[in-house]
Amino acid sequence: MALDRAVIEELRRAVGREYVIDSSNDLRIFERDASIEGAVPDAVVLPATTAEVSSVIRVAARHRIPLVMRGAGTGLSGGAVTIRGGIALQVTRMRKILEIDPVAQTALVEPGVVNQELSLAAASHRLFYAPDPSSQKACTIGGNAAENSGGPHCLYYGVTTNHVLGMEVVLADGSVHWVSGDAPDRVGLDLCGVLVGSEGTLCAITKVKVRLLRTPPSIATLLAAFPTIETASQAVSAVIGHGIVPSALEMMDQVTVGAVEAHYHAGYPTDAGAVLLVEVDGIPESTSELMAAVRKVLAENQGYAMREAQSPTERDLLWAGRKGAIGALGRIKPNYYLHDGVVPRSRLPQILSAVGEIGVHYKLPVANVFHAGDGNLHPNILFDLRERDVLPQVESAGEEMLRAVVELGGALSGEHGIGLEKSAFMPWVFSADDLDAMRRVKGALDGQGIMNPGKIFPDPERKSLHLAGRTGLAVEAKWW
Amino acid sequence: MVTSRTSVEKPVTAEELARLLHEAAEAGQAVLPVGGGRAAQMGDPPARDGVVMSTSGLDRVLEHSQADMVVSVEAGVTLEALQEQLGKSGQFLPLDPFNSPGHTIGGLLATGWTGPLRLRYGSPRDFLIGIRVALPDGRLASAGGRVVKNVSGYDLMKLHYGALGTLGVIVAASFKVFPKALHDVTVEATYESMDRAWAGADEGLAMPMAPAAVELFSSGRVLARFLGSLDATKRTVADLGWTEADGSAWVAHSKAAPSLWARIAAPPHALRSILDKLGADQEWWASPGTGIANWAIAGGAEDVRAIRALATAAGGSLVLMAGPDEFRHDAGAWGTPPATLHLMRRLRYAFDPSQVINPGRFVV
Repeated sequence: MALDRAVIEELRRAVGREYVIDSSNDLRIFERDASIEGAVPDAVVLPATTAEVSSVIRVAARHRIPLVMRGAGTGLSGGAVTIRGGIALQVTRMRKILEIDPVAQTALVEPGVVNQELSLAAASHRLFYAPDPSSQKACTIGGNAAENSGGPHCLYYGVTTNHVLGMEVVLADGSVHWVSGDAPDRVGLDLCGVLVGSEGTLCAITKVKVRLLRTPPSIATLLAAFPTIETASQAVSAVIGHGIVPSALEMMDQVTVGAVEAHYHAGYPTDAGAVLLVEVDGIPESTSELMAAVRKVLAENQGYAMREAQSPTERDLLWAGRKGAIGALGRIKPNYYLHDGVVPRSRLPQILSAVGEIGVHYKLPVANVFHAGDGNLHPNILFDLRERDVLPQVESAGEEMLRAVVELGGALSGEHGIGLEKSAFMPWVFSADDLDAMRRVKGALDGQGIMNPGKIFPDPERKSLHLAGRTGLAVEAKWW
Repeated sequence: MVTSRTSVEKPVTAEELARLLHEAAEAGQAVLPVGGGRAAQMGDPPARDGVVMSTSGLDRVLEHSQADMVVSVEAGVTLEALQEQLGKSGQFLPLDPFNSPGHTIGGLLATGWTGPLRLRYGSPRDFLIGIRVALPDGRLASAGGRVVKNVSGYDLMKLHYGALGTLGVIVAASFKVFPKALHDVTVEATYESMDRAWAGADEGLAMPMAPAAVELFSSGRVLARFLGSLDATKRTVADLGWTEADGSAWVAHSKAAPSLWARIAAPPHALRSILDKLGADQEWWASPGTGIANWAIAGGAEDVRAIRALATAAGGSLVLMAGPDEFRHDAGAWGTPPATLHLMRRLRYAFDPSQVINPGRFVV
């Protein structure tokens, strides 16, 4: 549904003529994020300042037009998909690092700043920004804050919400506010805490103040092979069970290792059933002692062919394989679909065998590459969209995997967000009263419901994907 | 200002608490939740009398999954009882609030009280992974879950943390817990001048092995704690050159509870300039790395307001933690409300439209 010409004119007045896109060919570029569903926006608006964001939102509010924030479009849950049409508010022109304060160890950035650019800019002060999604070369800090993104090093350092000190936000009525800031223990309710991870459904984020950390003086990175994915899972539990919390503890299965090795030649053992990538950091005395302890536990759990990176270059290569794994999977099939459910760590063996069985049942290859230390799965279901009727099979397989996660006491998403794709599953883990409490927050801050409609909450207007005939799926949310 | 209480309820299940809360709300009564009573004087005196809702009957550790390093507890469990249970498997909740012992988990979440270990582990805001609250309409609502990483739905844990129960009475919570460190070393140094003491604290904070806690006292004493491997703690202690102290110093420190007491919070780099204005006769202790100080006020409401003005100008705050009703009334427990108060009020209204829980006590 095209927007009224008068509305387009209002938008043009708000941000400048050339920064409103409304031709149907151009709009198609903004149809997708990195999830599998898409919808074409009615207009794309590219503001350069907070004031312009505010003006655009005022236009949207006046005409009750849905408004969807968009960063780099790397989101995996459909958060940036304009499922109800409306305006996609693209923040990529707002990409200045406004300030890096090496003494306070903070940075103030615009939302379109790319995650890795921030860490690169901080590196000259021997500081870094901890949350490191695999898409960090492209994804934006604004998107990270909206989704509460994670990454491999969040095992030790925590996810985005643990590193955001404060934000400038624009609410659904166009009003601009600072929430939280440099000082701890602020008076009043923690608005910043609830806005981080609200997936664009409560506010637009126009500035983010983040905490930077000191680059550790010493880093040790180890690659270890395991005969099976089960033995690798047990090794993960054993490491954590020994009281060792590495800065990262990642797993890749044989399918993934094969694809990664063919692409990166990082020296991954292709005969292994699974590999673990383990990193510890600190002062040299602590990394050597911790790494020795890790090696011992891994060896006791059938780990072999252990290889420690001998140089920063070698470490970067090992990580390139992990962070580029999903791209490398394109060697097997051109498309992938993944959920990122989380299970209690001790349930990793059960969930991985369930995931494997579901893949076999649907005759779809599955490649596991994930944050094992957190219990945060990433089963990549590989397929070729050109094959007829494959998509419903892929979606069903993904849904069954998430069901298995929930049955093991897990959560629907660890870092990708609920977005569009998992909103129908929310009643699996949350009762009607739980969801009602969340809706109260939505109602209090976006009464008209213009901010990213159709996300997070089950949407009765939307045809559920493949839930038909599956009654009794809702579980009571007595999760303890 | 009425502070008398009409009755005390002590429910033993979350459902019973929710029912009693709802009944009180229907009857137009206020509800004043209380856990261990360790923070009973935090905030402004309640505006109305009402039902004192004790959570002390909700005292079960619901589930501790050692392998997953996750624990779920009812709100009335004391911190000490929880630590004892976790300690059996070499784990702990990294929380060491002042005015210990006797805090309940629900009370600590509602008040946001923390201690020195916050430097290394953050506050419960960072390791609270699930919450269940009772609402004035009688519903029980959960958010989060029992896994260490979770972005399913809104992070209501953050909203309830430090809200003094005003969005609902916390009945249960789940936490990520931590392994006890292999080695736990405490060192101290005492300096002649505060200039040198601040420099000493900075020296401790700048160690390549980051300290778990660094506390600076108005006496010129600095107490630091390092957690980690044997070799790393050994080297750090040697490099720093302070005197090794007994770890029980932290237990003694956690009992600190002045009868008239304020918490000053500021951006860490601004903390000293505020504390310098307190005067040499005042007692305080501070965590320079986190930007939090605690002041045993020897003075009047006007002194509190003057220091609060400095803290506020630096982007921080001064909150009264304990003191007589009269004093809190005069000085104000919270100070100038934040600019986003109207947004906070909308949220409060969405959960507690009749201001049933702790009316008048919180800033919102």
